[in-house]
Amino acid sequence: MATSVSYPTPGPGPAPVVATAGIQAPVQASLWSDAWRRLRRNRLALVSAVYLVLLVAVALIALVHTPYSYRDVGVARPYSGPSGANWFGADILGRDVLSRLMVGAQISLIVGVGTQVLVLAVGVPIGLLSGYYRGLFDTVVAFIINVFYGIPDLLVAMILLLLLGPSLNNIIIAIVATRWMDMARLVRGQTLALREREFIEAARSSGAKPAKILFGHILPNSLGPIIVQATFGVPAAILFEAFLSFLGIGVQPPTPSWGSMAADGLAAIRIAPHMVIFPSIALSLTLMAFNFLGDGLRDALDPRQKR
Amino acid sequence: MATPILQVKDLHTEFLTDGGVVKAVDGVSFDLYPGESIGIVGESGSGKSITALSILRLVPDPGRVVSGQVLFHDQDLLQISGEEIREIRGRDIAMIFQDPQSSLNPVLRTGFQIDEAMLAHDKATKKEAHLRTIELLRRVRIPAPETRVKDFPHQLSGGMRQRAMIAMGLANAPSILIADEPTTALDVTVQAQILELLGDLNRDLGTAIVMITHNMGVVAGLCTRVLVMYAGEIVEQGPVEQIFENPQHPYTWSLLRSIPRVDALRHERLRSIEGLAPDLLHPPTGCRFHPRCPFRIEKCYTDEPRLQEVAPGQQAACWVTMERARKEMDADNLVDIRPGAGSGLHKGELTE
Repeated sequence: MATSVSYPTPGPGPAPVVATAGIQAPVQASLWSDAWRRLRRNRLALVSAVYLVLLVAVALIALVHTPYSYRDVGVARPYSGPSGANWFGADILGRDVLSRLMVGAQISLIVGVGTQVLVLAVGVPIGLLSGYYRGLFDTVVAFIINVFYGIPDLLVAMILLLLLGPSLNNIIIAIVATRWMDMARLVRGQTLALREREFIEAARSSGAKPAKILFGHILPNSLGPIIVQATFGVPAAILFEAFLSFLGIGVQPPTPSWGSMAADGLAAIRIAPHMVIFPSIALSLTLMAFNFLGDGLRDALDPRQKR
Repeated sequence: MATPILQVKDLHTEFLTDGGVVKAVDGVSFDLYPGESIGIVGESGSGKSITALSILRLVPDPGRVVSGQVLFHDQDLLQISGEEIREIRGRDIAMIFQDPQSSLNPVLRTGFQIDEAMLAHDKATKKEAHLRTIELLRRVRIPAPETRVKDFPHQLSGGMRQRAMIAMGLANAPSILIADEPTTALDVTVQAQILELLGDLNRDLGTAIVMITHNMGVVAGLCTRVLVMYAGEIVEQGPVEQIFENPQHPYTWSLLRSIPRVDALRHERLRSIEGLAPDLLHPPTGCRFHPRCPFRIEKCYTDEPRLQEVAPGQQAACWVTMERARKEMDADNLVDIRPGAGSGLHKGELTE
């Protein structure tokens, strides 16, 4: 069909002169490069990002090498404090705390990122569809979301884990079950606002398919808030996993989780405080880093900020 | 000019609000011939935009086209499936909007958005689309189109954005281009350029144009025929020169009189049309313009006038018409057109 359409060259007047040579093209200032520029100026967010990169590096290193195996008992005297051989000391069974923290970092990152990937996969399409089509689907979704909000997170997670059994995958599923609503709600709100914008009307008037409008126009315009929400969702999920593991219904031994390590240490907090302190510090630093990064992203992606 | 390319017949579009039914478009009919350019004028809320949106079935909620026909190539656009109307949008009938600032997606590159318009109808491969986009941008006189395609909308000026919108509208070489107040958001010199561009495209490509505007000057510059809408109805229609020279409906007459003139007397007041646009929830009985009409007669309060031939090719829906108003009510010398059935101030009576 392409050849059947032709455009006459401009009628009256000389052909436009294209004068590009020697003219410096203006610097491409896209939304994202603007945001990146603003993010770089935010010290706290930048430090947090560096910390998180290091954390990821540590988790990756732990895949191939840890000072000791995280499950070998008796590599040091039980309860022994930090020393040259065991930097962060040993736990109740004489396992190396540093090695366990490193593997715990893997667990935390998998849970944190994994839940958000699933939350995005569930919440974004639901939010887009209910916001764009409204009607019955939206009513049903709104009802389900309200029901989920009405039940305590812990109850949902506990019931699911008891039904499914406590494994890493099931922990992720349980956390997603308590967190998808926020994302769905956010995307729905964004969609409701964006669908009334003129460029959506323009896209529809040019014959764009609904899928194109949803994923080509509405989604890219709500990416900023979605990224921020997901970034804040990561520490929340990590904390929730730590909490579940602290209660004993999370990651099962001998796999270490920062939460279960802190729980183990709590029993011996008087004689071996390092068993609580190090996992807690790791957890706190990570949560802080994600939150600061989220804050930084929120400021950087806010189009009203023109600094 | 034998067969019309688009026929709108007795179109009714209503909005179901909490307060009741608003008849935004109430029995509008008109024909559009190939290559023609018509203007639909009226003040805000007269139903001109909703008429255009009804043609493409893009009326926003809670609006519904309740009856009527929109015939395009013997197809009633109001009856065909959603998939079929989607194919016609942008390919056969394209639309451009008032505010180029907000009708382009802010996060996508301008060129990409024009490519998309073609790809939506499988009119071209990506590569062809890209080349044609550059050609189109040159056609709408955007300088250095090779580099401009990579710009984001906010990097273009208002006029350039509107040109890009027009390029997007033309992407699939539609036979009809509906322009909904395309110049309202632009400053006057840019307005003139855009109108000239639309005129050239109409002439060179043979694209029929439906120009929706509240600006009589825009109509004069571009269109051959004009429809005047008031409160959801067409009150007068005909060839542009004829309507401008000899409007027969008092509303058209007042509209034309209210255009500010450079050669007006220094201290002369701007002439406005007194009163407010009617509340469409409770439209006036009889002629909808009667509460604001200086020439109303008894009949206007009770009976609704229909469009009838007042001159060759010109129809007006009025019981009185300006011809009679001139003869019997000294309309031409009426300065103050407040409702007063012709008894307002006359030129000689001006005090200052």
